[in-house]
Amino acid sequence: MNYLAELFLIAISAALINNFVLYYFVGICPFIGVSREVDMAVGMGCAVTFVITIAAFLSWTITTFVLIPGAPLSAFIAGFFLTPENAALVDLTILSYIVYIFAIASSVQFVEMYVRKFFPALYKSFGVFLPLITTNCAILFACLTIMSHVSGVDNPADVWGLGESLTLAIFGGLGFTIAIVIMSGIREELEFCDIPDALKGAAITLIIAGILAMAFMGFTGVDSGLKKVLKPSQVKEAVIH
Amino acid sequence: MPLVTIGLAGGTLVGMALILTYILGWANKAFHVEVDPKVEAVNDALPGVNCGGCGYVGCGEYAEAVVLDNVPVNKCTVGGESCITAIAELMGVEVDTPLPFLPVVHCGARYKDRLGRSEYKGEQRCVAANLIADVQGCTYGCLGFGDCTRACNYDALHVIDGLATVDYEKCVGCGACAKVCPRNIISITPFKEKQILAVACSNHDLGKEVTKVCKVGCLGCKACSRVSNLFTIENNLSTLNYDEYTNDRLDELEKARKRCPRQRLIFVGKPPKEGLKDDEDQEPPDIITPDFKTTVDDTEWRG
Repeated sequence: MNYLAELFLIAISAALINNFVLYYFVGICPFIGVSREVDMAVGMGCAVTFVITIAAFLSWTITTFVLIPGAPLSAFIAGFFLTPENAALVDLTILSYIVYIFAIASSVQFVEMYVRKFFPALYKSFGVFLPLITTNCAILFACLTIMSHVSGVDNPADVWGLGESLTLAIFGGLGFTIAIVIMSGIREELEFCDIPDALKGAAITLIIAGILAMAFMGFTGVDSGLKKVLKPSQVKEAVIH
Repeated sequence: MPLVTIGLAGGTLVGMALILTYILGWANKAFHVEVDPKVEAVNDALPGVNCGGCGYVGCGEYAEAVVLDNVPVNKCTVGGESCITAIAELMGVEVDTPLPFLPVVHCGARYKDRLGRSEYKGEQRCVAANLIADVQGCTYGCLGFGDCTRACNYDALHVIDGLATVDYEKCVGCGACAKVCPRNIISITPFKEKQILAVACSNHDLGKEVTKVCKVGCLGCKACSRVSNLFTIENNLSTLNYDEYTNDRLDELEKARKRCPRQRLIFVGKPPKEGLKDDEDQEPPDIITPDFKTTVDDTEWRG
């Protein structure tokens, strides 16, 4: 139950409270570029959710088994040259960026080929988006968030497993979809508005994104409230300590 | 220790590179999608502007449809005859020279002819102005904000005195203007001749209402349909039957054109550009002959 509650909190937090686009402002290029029509926005949102999930799986695997200090694979190889204590200290997290981009780009390439071969209809509807988002910052951001949680930089007591990572990715992608669909709905209506020349195009879109972000600030604090409801024991302990 | 870390880092990257290139290389072969060489050849023959005039999303999709679904090869209006013959050759089919399909603007009112106009300061585009009542009296006619001009990739459509006017010298008939017009007054029409007669009005209201909003709109008076059975009056608007239209019946058409009390029947197409203004005050000849270099008449030339 506690684990499910944890997942639920991560999901709500990723989708609404700490929305990738509207809280962290990552993934702005597709958010501005593909939010002209609702149909396209939905396609883009689905593609991002899909890629982000694959990326999260890969980055969790690589981080856990190769990158963090004491990871099984790197510690095993280092064991040949160093004492076991030292081998457990070898830290490859410096490689995170390059390794993630590497893994994401090739996995997306792979998935694209696979989908093109076996699901031509699906490829036609969202295949064009896939290469666009291979190295999107929202995806890299999700990977890095997962890395910091897996390596326990922020909170050593709360190390993420695969379940938490995938939840963050799926619901982060869902949050992205929510944001871009809202945005495209607004922009479709904006077609009929008298916008000052200077603000036409990307400028007004960014202003609207700012206003939307302010609206989403209304969710702030929902997570701590939920935490109190879902995990009363932990909160109490924290108060005593 | 640092040496081991550096070695491991390098090893990780090289290892990943090896594994991933191997997987991708394998996938490239295993998931290879056979593209019909014919499709590619047809695709190369097409202009590649992806205008969507054929009704498909882009040139690639149309090429696929031609090869795989036996779609007629003459749908690309942009490429014109040469493109169609090239595709027909590739596909091994015979094709008649296609009719050019070009846009006709079914409105002939310029600013001075339109009544009941009010000042409009909103977004200067047809699609926005169309949402608002009373921008002008006529709810069917051209709004003149030039959505079609912006949609045209070939600089073939301009708003002149508030009326969208097609430059038939430049027009390739992609149909982008017809799609974007919020009032649907631009129709893509088969041009059996260099110039064809067209009804330059879209107003379906009764004649009495039309006179209130427009000085030149079609009244639905049936003058034209009495002269020629090519004309039918549908919903108080004269319509021309282009299936039956030929230049052989030009006599009849010319008579109808003259009968029209509002002079709503106009010739559209490729007129000679020069000399139109100079000839305006001269008497029109009795019969409009296909040789339009000598043609003069009192109607509005458009082109």
